Amino acid sequence: MAVKLTDGVTLHVLPTKKFKTVRIKIKLKAPLREDNSTSRTLLASLLETNSQKYPTQTAMRSELSRLYGASFYTDVTKKGTAHILTLDLNVVNDKFLSESDSVLNQSVAFLEEVLFRPNVQEGAFHEETFNRERENLRDEYSSYYDDKQLYAALALQELYFDDPAQQIPSRGREEDLEKITPRSLYMDYQKMLQEDIVEILVVGDVTEDELAKAFRIFSFSPRKEAGSQVFYAGKQGMDKKEKTEIHPVAQAKLNLAYDTGVYYHAENYYAGQVFNGLFGGYPHSKLFTNVREKESLAYYASSFMDTFRGTMTVETGIEGMDAPKVERIIAQQLEEMQNGLFEEEAFLQTKEMLKNGLYQSEDSPGGYLERVYANIIAKGSIIPLDEWIEKIDRVTKADVQDVAQNISLKARFLLKGESD
Amino acid sequence: MEIKRYEQLDEVLYTDKLENGLTIKLLPKKGFHKTFALFSTDYGSIDNEFIPLGENAQIRVPDGIAHFLEHKLFEKEEGDVFQVFGKYGASANAFTSFSKTAYLFSSTNRVKDNLETLLDFVQEPYFTDKTVEKEKGIIAQEIRMYDDSPDWRLLFGLLENLYPNHPANTDIAGTVDSIQQITSELLYTCYRTFYHPGNMTLTVIGNIDPEEVHGWIQANQSKKEFPPFTAIQRFLPGTELENVEPFRSIEMPVNRPKAIVGIKGTRPHKEDASDLRFRIGMDLLLKMLFGPTSANYLKLYDSGLIDDSFSYEFSYERSFDFLSVGGDTKDPDGLTDVLKEILLSAKNSPEMTEENFELVKKRSIGQMLQAMNSIEYLAHQFIEADYGEANVFDIVPIMEDITLEELQELADCYMKAPVLSAFHILPRGEDQ
Repeated sequence: MAVKLTDGVTLHVLPTKKFKTVRIKIKLKAPLREDNSTSRTLLASLLETNSQKYPTQTAMRSELSRLYGASFYTDVTKKGTAHILTLDLNVVNDKFLSESDSVLNQSVAFLEEVLFRPNVQEGAFHEETFNRERENLRDEYSSYYDDKQLYAALALQELYFDDPAQQIPSRGREEDLEKITPRSLYMDYQKMLQEDIVEILVVGDVTEDELAKAFRIFSFSPRKEAGSQVFYAGKQGMDKKEKTEIHPVAQAKLNLAYDTGVYYHAENYYAGQVFNGLFGGYPHSKLFTNVREKESLAYYASSFMDTFRGTMTVETGIEGMDAPKVERIIAQQLEEMQNGLFEEEAFLQTKEMLKNGLYQSEDSPGGYLERVYANIIAKGSIIPLDEWIEKIDRVTKADVQDVAQNISLKARFLLKGESD
Repeated sequence: MEIKRYEQLDEVLYTDKLENGLTIKLLPKKGFHKTFALFSTDYGSIDNEFIPLGENAQIRVPDGIAHFLEHKLFEKEEGDVFQVFGKYGASANAFTSFSKTAYLFSSTNRVKDNLETLLDFVQEPYFTDKTVEKEKGIIAQEIRMYDDSPDWRLLFGLLENLYPNHPANTDIAGTVDSIQQITSELLYTCYRTFYHPGNMTLTVIGNIDPEEVHGWIQANQSKKEFPPFTAIQRFLPGTELENVEPFRSIEMPVNRPKAIVGIKGTRPHKEDASDLRFRIGMDLLLKMLFGPTSANYLKLYDSGLIDDSFSYEFSYERSFDFLSVGGDTKDPDGLTDVLKEILLSAKNSPEMTEENFELVKKRSIGQMLQAMNSIEYLAHQFIEADYGEANVFDIVPIMEDITLEELQELADCYMKAPVLSAFHILPRGEDQ
């Protein structure tokens, strides 16, 4: 159920007895712009590092240790046209502890402390902390190159999208760092606190009343409720974009990006999920069976859909010289899907796997909260699992074929070795 | 079945050993949709030299064969086992470590069908020369993927230093060359020796009725015949006396240099509750020295020698253990010097105060309770290593009981310069 704390700030409490912990996620959502991913990522690092009351990492982490090792971290993600900063706290349920004071209430107070009173003096973030976290972020950007799978995925994203806000990683990019100062970041922080749409999500053996009471200390001001569409619907050009890079690597990465027109909980969403499962989402999929099992060309070859942006990506790790062959096989699998050439058994299996995955997502506090949040920002309410599952059951083979026919290859990125 | 209640944690564990030798562990979890099953054998990448079941002579098999076998068990004459699990809506997987191989599924319905599929596919091998040849291309790509992973190379660089003559120095998947020597015949030899029920454990956790599940397993196993189990004879070089390579570095196509420092253990494993206490003690000790509330961590972080990639771990495997600490750094030499100094003077470290100890303990207990939310975590803990009668539910009571003096003693015994080593990965063209 939802409790409105003020305009644009909502508390969602999901009571269940099955976990030994209480998990809290505070999500702050802003429109994604070319220039805000970097500053919000830096902001997230600063909020996680120290605060006015806990001016060093040691002080902050000691407080969390005192709360029976409550875990606390911040994170940023992109969803469609939104940039989301998350404060995430996990704490042991009071009933397993012999404390007299409620550890849950103390944890909520901790979140309030670090979110509303960061380490700021005279309108600017603490300079030393700022400088160090900015250097760390610079190092992090430079380390993306070290993880070749990540590097190839980011290169494909940049190649595929025309819109600069969509091109850049959710954690931002190096060239923006120089423009950010302790003072400008504090202004970004205030803007976030005043304007972002906030959802507070809590799961555990708790009641809505006790949480509503605990969160009363949060002094959010009212803000304009979201009117803008969270889905990114920008179309890419007609031409397929291609790029090849050569680096001294042992394994080549061939990554492909497609337009799908499949959006989260739109009418074709359920058929889209079945399509993805059949095409490259599961070990019984066409990509796994053909690229890996039949031809021994790869260890991994799989597809993922981003239903907030209407796209699909395929990732493979192969020998560089096999790239044309692998691309041909992938294209052939898509063609077969478009012609309705997939087995009844695999079709039914995919539905079973999707349903299994949905039920399982309720068994992990983090996964459950992420699903609920996606529901809320896309549809404004929590979609009952039964309803979701019924819609998967109703998908026909013709629906899947329809989805396949609207999928088109738009970008190809190849990272290969010097000797390939 | 033996029933053990853990009142404080609100858990009940059911265990049994079947006539054929199979160990069963069942843990019902109320309110969960999911059931998770893990069928594991006490066999991993280090078990390269042994006497095959029913024979007298010791043999040496190619590196990576345990992992290769894991891949090949999924393929049957009638097709891929993933298809069968898929039909029942289950997701299946498997993994091989230094000393274990495990097969698993998670599902939200048809638990009986899935459980029988799991037992049957692992207990009915089908290896042919053709399917073995085909797998070599797939596994070669898996190995190449890891060859490009700096974190993986960093860890194995350290292990090569620490264990020059021990199979722990080799990638679990073997090498592209070593897997070429694998044949279907060799797979059968390993299979017969290490996949006897007497060497295996089935762990089922989740939305189950333990009596019912026990009945299913028993019925399934009673239909199959196995020769009597005899203890497996493995041959591993000792880890305590060999030389340690104190330092090496390599170059890779990376932007950020990386450094890791490690120490290998020399205390023989007893495979009882004292091992679990030892492991917990080492975990707590490392948390005191390098954890987020330590002055060491703050100093290293503030000086820019470490960033969020910094991590430390105590790894405890059958017959060997080691600690490792490190991450990305702008100054690999500087970081290595500081880490060595902290480790070798751990016993008298200013971090080792009662106040810090209580804080780390409290945090560790809370983190343990948090981890127990996860069915997968629990299942993995049950098979992780042999602690005799002790298991994951004993961790919190042991943590409560352990003393600072114990940690000081551990530090004194473990942190020895001759068994310490460091390894660096440098961006291409920057090596001396």
